[in-house]
Amino acid sequence: MLLSRRAAGLLLVPGLALVAFGFLYPFAVTLFAPPAAEDPNVLGKLGGMLGDGYVLEVVARTIRVAVTTTACCLLLGFPVAYMISRAPQRRRGLLLALAIFPLLLSTVVRTFSWLVILGRNGLISTILNDLRLADGAQLLYTEFALVAGLTQLFTPIVILTSYSSLSHVDEALEEAARGLGAGPGKAFRQVVLPLALPGVLVGATLAFAGAITAFTTPLLLGGTRNRTLATLLYDYANVKLDWGGASAIALIMTALVLAAAVASGRLSKAGAV
Amino acid sequence: MRRRPVLTGLAALAMAFLLGPILLVAATAFTAGDTIEFPPQGLSTKWFAKALAHEPFRGALTTSLLVAAGGTAIALAVGIPAALVLQRRRFRGRGAAEALFLSPAIVPELVLGFALFQQLMVTMRITALGALLIGHSVLLLPYAVRVTGASLALSDPALEEAGRGLGAGPFRTFFHITLPVMMPGIVSAAMLSFLTSFNNVPLSLLLNGPGVSTLPVEMLHYVEFSFDPVVAAVSTLLLGATVLIALVTERLVGFNKVFSQ
Repeated sequence: MLLSRRAAGLLLVPGLALVAFGFLYPFAVTLFAPPAAEDPNVLGKLGGMLGDGYVLEVVARTIRVAVTTTACCLLLGFPVAYMISRAPQRRRGLLLALAIFPLLLSTVVRTFSWLVILGRNGLISTILNDLRLADGAQLLYTEFALVAGLTQLFTPIVILTSYSSLSHVDEALEEAARGLGAGPGKAFRQVVLPLALPGVLVGATLAFAGAITAFTTPLLLGGTRNRTLATLLYDYANVKLDWGGASAIALIMTALVLAAAVASGRLSKAGAV
Repeated sequence: MRRRPVLTGLAALAMAFLLGPILLVAATAFTAGDTIEFPPQGLSTKWFAKALAHEPFRGALTTSLLVAAGGTAIALAVGIPAALVLQRRRFRGRGAAEALFLSPAIVPELVLGFALFQQLMVTMRITALGALLIGHSVLLLPYAVRVTGASLALSDPALEEAGRGLGAGPFRTFFHITLPVMMPGIVSAAMLSFLTSFNNVPLSLLLNGPGVSTLPVEMLHYVEFSFDPVVAAVSTLLLGATVLIALVTERLVGFNKVFSQ
C-alpha cells in the first residue's frame, strides 16, 4: 500500500469538508427545514402547491418541454455521432471538435442567438415578411422557442455520449449483418443501435435533466407566459420572497432529476441483459 | 462505406443548427443599427466600444475571472488528493466516498445556488464573493475528482512503488512521479472547470451582493431589459476567447481527449 491509513484519511478530509459544508448541509436544511423561511414546513407547503392549478401547469409544461427536447436532441445528435464514427479517421477529430465546441460556450450566448433568429426583427420574421407569408409572427416566448433553444444547448451532449459508445462498435459487425442478408435499415436497427444504447441513454438522461433544470433559456425565450420550474423557483426566491415555497419547488425539481437518473440506470441494466 | 442520404442529411442539418446561430450572433454584433436585427444594417464596431465601456460588465468580468480561477484552484487542491486516495487505496466505504465526491453534480445547480444563498448568505452572513467561491468550488469538485482520477487510473502504480523502493519518500514520489503522470488530467480538469465556472448562471444567479455579480448573470439581466446589440458584441468577444482556449487545449492535451473522460 502506497498510502498509510492515516495519510489517506488526511487527504480525504478537505474534500469531504467542502462537500459537507458547501453542499450536503445547506442542501438538506434548505430543502427540508429552512430556518430563514417564515413557514419552515416545506412538506406542508409542497402539499399545498401540488393542489395549485398554476403550479401543476408549470410542472406539466416543464416535463413536456424536457421530453420534447430530449427527443429532438436524440433525433439530431445520434445521426451526427454515427456519421462522425464512420467518417475517415483523419476527419473524425475535427468533426467531433466542431460538434462539441458549443458546450464550451456560455449558455447566455447560445440562448441569445435565438433572439437574433426568432426576435421581432430577426432572421425568420424578416424572411416571412419578405415572402409576405406572415406579418409580425410571434415566435419568441412560445414553447417552440423553448424547445429550439434547449435542443441547441443539449444536442452536443447526446453527440458526445453516443459517439463514445459508437466508436467502440466494430464496423465489421454491421458489414457482417449486411453480408448475411440484412438490409441497411435492419442492420442499423438490430446491430448498431443496441450496441450504442448505453451511450445514447446517458446522453438522453443528461439532456432531460438539463432541460428540466435550465434557467437561462426559459427566462429569455419562454417569457412570463411560459414559466418552467426553474423560473418559478427564481420568482419565489427573488421576487415573491416566499422561501418556503421556493424550497418546495426545489424539492420537486430535485425529485424529477433523481427519478430520471434512476429510471435511466434501470433501463441501462435491462438493456445489458 | 455506403451512402446514407437520410442520415447524412439529418447530420448536416444538425451541424447547421448547432453552429449557425452562434455565427449569426457574431454577424449582428457588427451592425451600425440600433437593434438586434438580421440582416444587420451597415457595418460598425460601435457596439464593441460600448460593451467594453459598460461599467457593470467590467466589474462583473473581474468577479467572474476571480471566482473561476479561485474555484478551479480550490477544487483541484482538494480534488487531486481525494482522487489519489480513491484510485490508489482499496478500503471499505470507497464506493460511498466516491459517490459523495460526485454528488454535487447530480442536483440542479439552481437548487444548490438557492440553498447556498439561504444558508451561507442569509443565515451565516457570509459575503456574496465568499458564497460564490464556496459554491463554485463545490460545483467543480466532481470534475476535478473524476478527470484527474481518470488519468491516474490509466497509469501504473508500479511506477510509484518503484520510486518508493528506490528510497524516495512519499512527497518526493508524489511530486516526481505521480504529479507528472496526472498532468494531462489536471490540465483537462482545469480547462473544463474554469469554463464551467466562468459560464455558470444558475448557481451564481442568487449569490450576488452590492457590486458583486458574475458576467453571465449581468449579461442575462441586460438582455432581459434592453434589446440593443451590446450583448451580441460581448458574446462575440467571449466566442473569440473560447475558440482561443480550445486551440490552446488542443495543443496541450488534445481537445477531444478532454471530453472523453
